Amino acid sequence: MSKNTRNTAFRKVDVDQYGEEVYEEDQTADEGATGPSDAEVQSMLAKGRNGDALQYVLTNAPLTSKNQGVKDKAAQTVLKVLMSLKANEIEGSLKGLDQAKQDTLMKYIYRGFENPSEGSSAQLLVWHDKLFAVTGVGSIVRVLTDRKRV
Amino acid sequence: MSTTLQPYLKAVRQTLTAAICLENFSSQVVERHNKPEVEVRTSKELLLTPVTISRNEKEKVLIEGSINSLRISIAIKQADEIEKILCHKFMRFMMMRAENFIVLRRKPVEGYDISFLITNFHTEQMYKHKVVDFIIHFMEEIDKEMSEMKLAVNSRARISAEEFLKRF
Repeated sequence: MSKNTRNTAFRKVDVDQYGEEVYEEDQTADEGATGPSDAEVQSMLAKGRNGDALQYVLTNAPLTSKNQGVKDKAAQTVLKVLMSLKANEIEGSLKGLDQAKQDTLMKYIYRGFENPSEGSSAQLLVWHDKLFAVTGVGSIVRVLTDRKRV
Repeated sequence: MSTTLQPYLKAVRQTLTAAICLENFSSQVVERHNKPEVEVRTSKELLLTPVTISRNEKEKVLIEGSINSLRISIAIKQADEIEKILCHKFMRFMMMRAENFIVLRRKPVEGYDISFLITNFHTEQMYKHKVVDFIIHFMEEIDKEMSEMKLAVNSRARISAEEFLKRF
């Protein structure tokens, strides 16, 4: 009569996932976002067009990609570009950036801090200072709250 | 090397000012409870992106934010064995008296030497800019105290060795 009550598997079900207001991370992943091409960046740096290299990597930042490998590669490329720019060139290159690119740059600066290497942190601190002078606290708040991680 | 100290502290101050915007938020999981979300970490939508600021490979600060709380973890420069021991003992001394510090956490986060937990209740009671000032001041003073203690240890060791060896 009561054969089905032997099955106690229902106790293991996580009922919280079926709640109406469960937050789900935005699933739409843009598979096309492959990040900046390394060869392109290398050629721009070799020609000395550092400002253009910065614009290029920020425009092609893989923000919507779910692939961690793509993001890591892009982060390394951006770090290379940031290191290549000298202190007096930084201000000039910041002038050409719109707000979205400034926010992306701030994200990459913080990303660069996570993997400190020889002298990278000192240069990144200079970048942070100069970018903050342009954008103010707003860009840091946007870095903290934006779901699209770099 | 010390030329990075001021930019480092400036960057930490700016990031803290941005992250310390906290508001009261009751627990979504347990009714009538109010928990610091950065510690509980059950709801992903309430957590902000954790952010690191590093001065070099050894010294860094991790700032993890959420809607009602903020966790700041500091990794202090420890150049040799004696500094490691001094740092460990000094931090332990302070963490045992965390009640009196109000914003101090009793255990540091994995990989760091000391952690602070600031909740919306703290920001309601205290001025935000003063709390940020406190953290920055703390970071500055720690390095000075550590070098002072190291010198004291070395000079005490020298004096006691001298006294001991006078007998021979």
